[in-house]
Amino acid sequence: MRISVDTEACTGHALCFGIAPDVFVLDELGYNVTPAGEVAPELEEQARRGALSCPEMAITIEE
Amino acid sequence: MTAVDETPTGDRSPTMDFDVYVHDSMDGSNAAWDALRERCPVVWSPLNGGHWTVAGYDDVATVFRDWETFSSERTDPERSSVSIGAAKMPLLIPEEIDPPRWKPLRRVLAEILSPNAVERLRPRVEHWVTHTIDQFIERGEAELAHDLSVPVPSLVTMEWLGWPAEEAASAASVFHDMAKFPGGTPEHAAGAARFQWLMGEVSKQLVARRNHPRDDALTAIARYEVDGELLPQEIAEAIVFMTIGGGVDTTTALTSAALVHLGLHPGDRQRLIDDPGLIDSATEEFLRYYPPARTHARTVTTDTEFGGCPMHAGDRVLVSEVAANRDPAAFPDPDSFDLERFPNRHVSFGVGIHRCPGSHLARLEFKTSIREVLRRLPDFVLDVDGVVEYPNWSVIGGWGSIPVTFTPGPRS
Ligand code: HEM
Ligand code: SF4
Repeated sequence: MRISVDTEACTGHALCFGIAPDVFVLDELGYNVTPAGEVAPELEEQARRGALSCPEMAITIEE
Repeated sequence: MTAVDETPTGDRSPTMDFDVYVHDSMDGSNAAWDALRERCPVVWSPLNGGHWTVAGYDDVATVFRDWETFSSERTDPERSSVSIGAAKMPLLIPEEIDPPRWKPLRRVLAEILSPNAVERLRPRVEHWVTHTIDQFIERGEAELAHDLSVPVPSLVTMEWLGWPAEEAASAASVFHDMAKFPGGTPEHAAGAARFQWLMGEVSKQLVARRNHPRDDALTAIARYEVDGELLPQEIAEAIVFMTIGGGVDTTTALTSAALVHLGLHPGDRQRLIDDPGLIDSATEEFLRYYPPARTHARTVTTDTEFGGCPMHAGDRVLVSEVAANRDPAAFPDPDSFDLERFPNRHVSFGVGIHRCPGSHLARLEFKTSIREVLRRLPDFVLDVDGVVEYPNWSVIGGWGSIPVTFTPGPRS
């Protein structure tokens, strides 16, 4: 699984991090700055739920 | 009223006489929004100065996100452009500013309300919740709006700003008093008078902080520099004012909503007591089901077609958080309250650039208050006949009175 974050669309709700703290990285203001890349298999479910929680739909998952 | 009153209907269609200001109860308001969304998701109403009304989830989110077409900028010097038919109100900053000017003005608050900054406030939030419950826990009875959901956000916000503790509660409850009593009543007028006093105090405190910095939000705002220059005094004042006016009674309303809900639904209460870990998803569901900010407004910047409707530059647009949150296309079975609803991308904090920077603080205050109520007065019984809603549910929803009885407990 690959994740990527549209940093233009992210407005810093930080809900993704609340649900998937092991997957996403926030900057000091709470915006998602996770570099695009592969997700470890044991974190895939977290990543999926984190992406689904984003009100801006800023997180893309490619299975 | 304002010049927008003159907006003729022209080629605007479909049209419907939708008067958001007649919404005088939560259930009535919810039903009116549901009916409107089902019949005409986008519609022109000639009432309240004439405005488009947007009620479907996707359309609401689009309007919120597309700030270039749907601007938040103030158009009337005296009245807010982010609500329809608003009373006279000072400029809201950063809410009524669009980019590029918006960015640095938003950043001031984003820094001092970031998830990390809020995490550092946790002990103070816990302190104030405990202190507030201590005041009534031995009595075995309380009016939870007056005794809990009003004071907690007031005390937390005013301490965060750096306000003198003795004046905190009275200062921040101004907005609750104005929402609780209808315009024209002496209580509302008294609230309005205290509001004037509060504005003067904010101004004095900011000047004091410029010269005598402390470790508080007032100092951060008073000494914030954009391109090497301090913010003009009136802008700094408006930013402080927004944190009080936008952050206190909204958090109060959310807390009140949950207290009333848990009073009416013992099953949900028991599940939260048995499994405190449910509080995160429950919080999002309380926000979805009982959005404190029920509507906002925007102004169209260029002629455009939206939802199949011809919109013209200058047209006002009413966007409904409550209608979006109840849209069955986005939330299966929207009328059922589900503590574990997921996903739950409600728009109660807005979406797009203006989405609420206070959301992290509001969530912390709310979760702490509810957790401690369920721990210290888990058996509270709501006096259902004594519950009083705000008189109007068009812009902000909330409760004026939530009387309860419970088994008395010790102060901590
Ligand atoms: C449950 C509590 C709260 C709710 C429901 C709420 C709701 C909202 C909503 C819907 C918006 C977007 C408005 C728009 O797009 O025009 C907003 C913006 C804002 N809120 Fe909140 N809010 C809450 C708490 C707070 C708190 C605690 C603070 C500050 C301490 C705060 C400060 C602000 C500010 C400054 C803005 C404008 C942001 C901008 O324009 O960039 N709010 N809020
Ligand atoms: S939930 Fe979405 S908008 Fe919020 S920080 Fe995460 S990616 Fe950004």
